[in-house]
Amino acid sequence: TAGNKIFHFGACRVSMSMTEIRTGFTAIKANIQARDPIRTLSILSYPHSLHKVKSSDRCCITHHLFDFYVDKVFKHCKTEDSFVNRKVSSIANSFLSMKRKLGQCHEQNQCMCGQESAEKFQQILANYEGLNVTSAAMKSLGELDILLDWME
Amino acid sequence: SGELYCSLLNPRNVHFESVNMKNVLHWSAPEGTGNGVLYKVKYSVYGVGKWIRKPECRNINSTWCDLSSETSDYEEQYYASVKAFLNGMFSDWVETTRFNPLTDTKIDPPMVSVSSTDKSISITLTAPEKWKKSPEEESISLLQVYPGLQYNVSVLNKKTKKRWFFSISNHTLVVPWLEPGTAYCVSAQIHVSAPLLDSDFSKDHCIATLKDK
Amino acid sequence: EDALLPAPQNISILSTNMKHFLTWTPVIVQGETVRYSVEFQGEYERVYANESWLPISECSLLTATLCDITEDISATVAYNLRVRAELGASRSPWGTLKGFFNRITTSLTPPVMKVIADGYHLLVELEDMGPAFQFRVLYWKKGQERRMQQQVVKEASSVVHLDTMEAGGDYCVKAQTYVEAINRSSSFSHTQCVRAQGDRSMWL
Repeated sequence: TAGNKIFHFGACRVSMSMTEIRTGFTAIKANIQARDPIRTLSILSYPHSLHKVKSSDRCCITHHLFDFYVDKVFKHCKTEDSFVNRKVSSIANSFLSMKRKLGQCHEQNQCMCGQESAEKFQQILANYEGLNVTSAAMKSLGELDILLDWME
Repeated sequence: SGELYCSLLNPRNVHFESVNMKNVLHWSAPEGTGNGVLYKVKYSVYGVGKWIRKPECRNINSTWCDLSSETSDYEEQYYASVKAFLNGMFSDWVETTRFNPLTDTKIDPPMVSVSSTDKSISITLTAPEKWKKSPEEESISLLQVYPGLQYNVSVLNKKTKKRWFFSISNHTLVVPWLEPGTAYCVSAQIHVSAPLLDSDFSKDHCIATLKDK
Repeated sequence: EDALLPAPQNISILSTNMKHFLTWTPVIVQGETVRYSVEFQGEYERVYANESWLPISECSLLTATLCDITEDISATVAYNLRVRAELGASRSPWGTLKGFFNRITTSLTPPVMKVIADGYHLLVELEDMGPAFQFRVLYWKKGQERRMQQQVVKEASSVVHLDTMEAGGDYCVKAQTYVEAINRSSSFSHTQCVRAQGDRSMWL
């Protein structure tokens, strides 16, 4: 069924359709994760899981992560497989649509960034920059279900 | 002098089979091998550095290994790996794909109990519990794991063969103003929209409304 | 590209109930079968990925002049679409859709609906229009329009129970579709009314 949800991040209320992203990701999950041979590092979960983030910081982290995926990740996920590329495009365009919605909350100061979310996001960037860009992007894309599970 | 060993063909189709987060690793024997092959199993938490051996699944001849306890934290994701032995020959370690208990488990249908009066039937549904290590351990309903869990309920009038559907969030449903002395069959399914998971429909639970007083 | 082969013309979108098709007028070359290939570009590609285009494999070397782009138009952003003709090794210039296409402009039709009275029970059967659709069903007892009730039906694949009716009462139902992904609804279907089974002495 359609899975538009109203996400409550404190004062920020954003309606987002996650089902299409989930469907797109599920279609390429095995393919993308198979391209990531590094078991010992997680971009999003190392050293601490997203679940450890305080609820007051959820909006800010989510906003940063949407920017991260749109600005840094998707463009380095081109593959030789046309089907995978089309699904990545579908996810990327959905993220862009949601990034804009979250951006409105950010502009209306409903998406406060505390120190914890700043530190967590810095850690994510450090994990990302610790790998070569294609490996880092593929690993981040392969961890999309970690982000979706945490958001939902 | 170097130790001489031949390599054995790899175990095949190494994968998790998960129901209500009871997560069991399964595989098929290397091609062309009959009995006598032994296996050992290890697993790792994705993003954490080390592989961990499963002692209970060391030198086993069965082609499954229950890793439910080791993979019970559904906020993590996992890999598992199997190696085969036969007469001094070894296979490679063969890994699963990344296993996410939250999205990769299958959910059992709900338990259905039905009672009736002359003109109504009352249906009570119970979501299955998450796998637990021992009976003494506290039970966790899948309702707690998947807060958006709903029930799709089907009610079949055995006389008219008409089937109605209800979609409910709470676990009870009363269907009033039915025909007295008529058999109705109820079955129910669990529906989770995020992540998208549907159980099968339960088997039919049939009951007759009482005859008119 | 080969100047002999003209680009396809009159490129347009047909979009109804979240099914989107690209169509164009054929390029005629006497005695030859001209084929076509379609590509799309989302806003992400335009803004973040060097204006790259992606081919739609189901619409590569197509002989028809219609391409189902529904699978690829899967976000509520502005898309560009283009098509070119191919004959052997020669290819026409790209013909590009004038303006963007955003699925938010799809036309939504009222749902096909069948209302059933089964004894004292009011039921509705709705046409399955795909996972993007929900249905908002309104129902009321005739003459009591101000006590209209509503039920949101998320899966239309079966006969849905709405309510129990008073004996002999006339009940009316109408429905509209709702697409969460674009946050839009169709107009309402025609109202259908049914009568509940009579003589329910218990009610008197």
